[in-house]
Amino acid sequence: GVTVSGLFLSLWYKHNMSCMSMKHQQIRMEAFVVEMQDPKNGIKGSEQKLNVTTIPHVIAGKDIISWITNKMKTTAEEAEAFGTMLVAYGYVYPLQNHKKLVMCNDATLYRFQTPYFWPTEKWVAEDSDYGEYSTTGDQGVQHRVRGPKSGFSVQSLHLVMFGLFELAGKERKKPDRVVFDCQERAYWIVNRPPRRTHSALDSGPDRLIDPITENMFYQQAIMRSKVKSSVSLGALVKYITTYKNHDPFLAPCAPSNPWQTDDDSYWTLNMRRVDLPTKMRVERWSFSLFELLSDLRGRDDFKIFLKKEFSGENLAFWEAAEELKWGTASSMSTKAETIFKTFLAPGAPRWINIDGRTMGLTVKGLDHPHRYVLEAAQTHVFLLMKKDTFFRYLKSPVYKDIQKKALNPEPHNFSPAQLEQNAKNRNPGIHPILLWQQEEEEKAKAAAAAAPVDVKAMMNKIDRKK
Amino acid sequence: MSRWRRSVDELAARRRQQAECERAQDALGRVTSCFQQLAASLGSSADGSFLRDELDETRAVAHRICRGLARRLLRLLSDCDSTPSGVEDRRVSERLWVLFLSALENFLSDLHKASDLIGQFPLTQRCDRRSLVNTGCVDGVVGVASRVASVQVPWLTLEEESRPDLTNHMAGLEVMLAEMQLKVPVAFWSVEATQPAWAEAAGDPDDPDDSLERLMEVQLPNRQLAACCCWPA
Repeated sequence: GVTVSGLFLSLWYKHNMSCMSMKHQQIRMEAFVVEMQDPKNGIKGSEQKLNVTTIPHVIAGKDIISWITNKMKTTAEEAEAFGTMLVAYGYVYPLQNHKKLVMCNDATLYRFQTPYFWPTEKWVAEDSDYGEYSTTGDQGVQHRVRGPKSGFSVQSLHLVMFGLFELAGKERKKPDRVVFDCQERAYWIVNRPPRRTHSALDSGPDRLIDPITENMFYQQAIMRSKVKSSVSLGALVKYITTYKNHDPFLAPCAPSNPWQTDDDSYWTLNMRRVDLPTKMRVERWSFSLFELLSDLRGRDDFKIFLKKEFSGENLAFWEAAEELKWGTASSMSTKAETIFKTFLAPGAPRWINIDGRTMGLTVKGLDHPHRYVLEAAQTHVFLLMKKDTFFRYLKSPVYKDIQKKALNPEPHNFSPAQLEQNAKNRNPGIHPILLWQQEEEEKAKAAAAAAPVDVKAMMNKIDRKK
Repeated sequence: MSRWRRSVDELAARRRQQAECERAQDALGRVTSCFQQLAASLGSSADGSFLRDELDETRAVAHRICRGLARRLLRLLSDCDSTPSGVEDRRVSERLWVLFLSALENFLSDLHKASDLIGQFPLTQRCDRRSLVNTGCVDGVVGVASRVASVQVPWLTLEEESRPDLTNHMAGLEVMLAEMQLKVPVAFWSVEATQPAWAEAAGDPDDPDDSLERLMEVQLPNRQLAACCCWPA
């Protein structure tokens, strides 16, 4: 029941903001309700017999639904849904089970709500009024109290209680008192504030904010580390200055943007395993170690440099850590063991030189390896490379060599006819399976080349040769 | 006359005025609540010329109370007194001010609602009664009307005020609200309550069997009482 009413209530709150169409719908709805209760052509009502009195004008759900079915010339299901809408919006209210705002296709009893309590755009029910009603509870008419509207302090709600109650209702006849209490209760069930409303004196989404969690949220925000905007903006400016020639939206691609000219030379020239990269690509490697390592062609070049320097273990460790991070869960423990034996164990063949504290933490973590167990060590190694090796690489003959040799393709200048031709002859590209096979071959070669020299096997080989 | 004598007299006068305003505020609360009760029947089967006449009467009474109360409150809050007792007095006056303005706001919104409903259900012709919604109310407003008539306000008999129609009444109230808030700067959030919430509501032993659940009981065939409004889950 709550879900149905919740659905229509949420629709109601959503539509509260629109004006014209809603108002027209309301006017039509009101006319419809007036027709429903027409003494001649409307729904036939009966009396509700209570222990203490008898109240006229009660209608049964099945009668309502059959009347709507006839009137709107529709199916019973549609009529039932429409009827539920009438209840959810508060034009009609149920007498039994008053909290469940649905129209039942049986002998369940309903009554028409008085027009004063009909839904209206202009006078949205105030949460503070609901507070007033719900506090008095079903004592109802006897304890009517008028209160101040929103915008006042919470205390002022209590002000209201000072001498402002009246006993008007007591003068009414008992049946009418019952009816009025029912009407009022039905009105507030339709219009009560949604759950999680913490502040009845705010309006809209503001009242759903819990002040306690909100306070915690702000406290945490204060505790976060901050950077001056001049610093962060400076970093942003530096980034833009560095990369602006490399952005395909801001600068032309060399030789041309394949999306625009349908010529894929750009992609071919920049593939993973080209012998000679393009000048733009090589320039990009100089931006940061991150760029250099992210581009696998650049990483290869870096490895060549490191081999000459005999300091390849840092990069090897970094790559091994990457593999651990991105690899399968089942392979993690074996990988961790290999890495430990190769890089971290005392006397390991490719021992990396990290500080004692990080080493201790990493080794301890390897007892129970997980994906990010090498994060600290990997970061340390990365920083070592960045601060030292990277800059030496940029100044090295290896890099200068590749810079000289790098290709600088001439920009294309296609005529419209040629562009059309290009579009017709689009290259489907290399099949991904072939690419994958190539990659596997390369991996195997690299593994063989990088494997630490097994001294004993070497010795055996030499022995056998003898 | 000595300054001390004068200030004592002033104090006494002010206290009297405050008491007068408090009684008037009380009466205003009753009258506006009655108005709400009556307005709730607009457009329903209990609507009729009698109801609408009563609505007008109630409105007129409220109008006279408002005019007098506004005038007196303005006077009360216009003179400033910085002595310690004066500060306390000021607080009392400010509370009355806040109560009055709140009551005005509530009443104004009820007037708007009533005006809308009267527009929606004009009872100018006999056939118009067919469109009145059968809500189960028959005719219960007689008692309410008598209640309004019994309201006592000190200046009600003294001053003869005009009786504005609904539209002018609403316009007048809006103007009054705006003017009052301009003339006297009272911080609403600084006014404190003097009584715990719902003090009156708690202690009314007259009608013990008047909760809605009890009223809605029916006698089942097997002689058991069952609540009509909540089926057992």
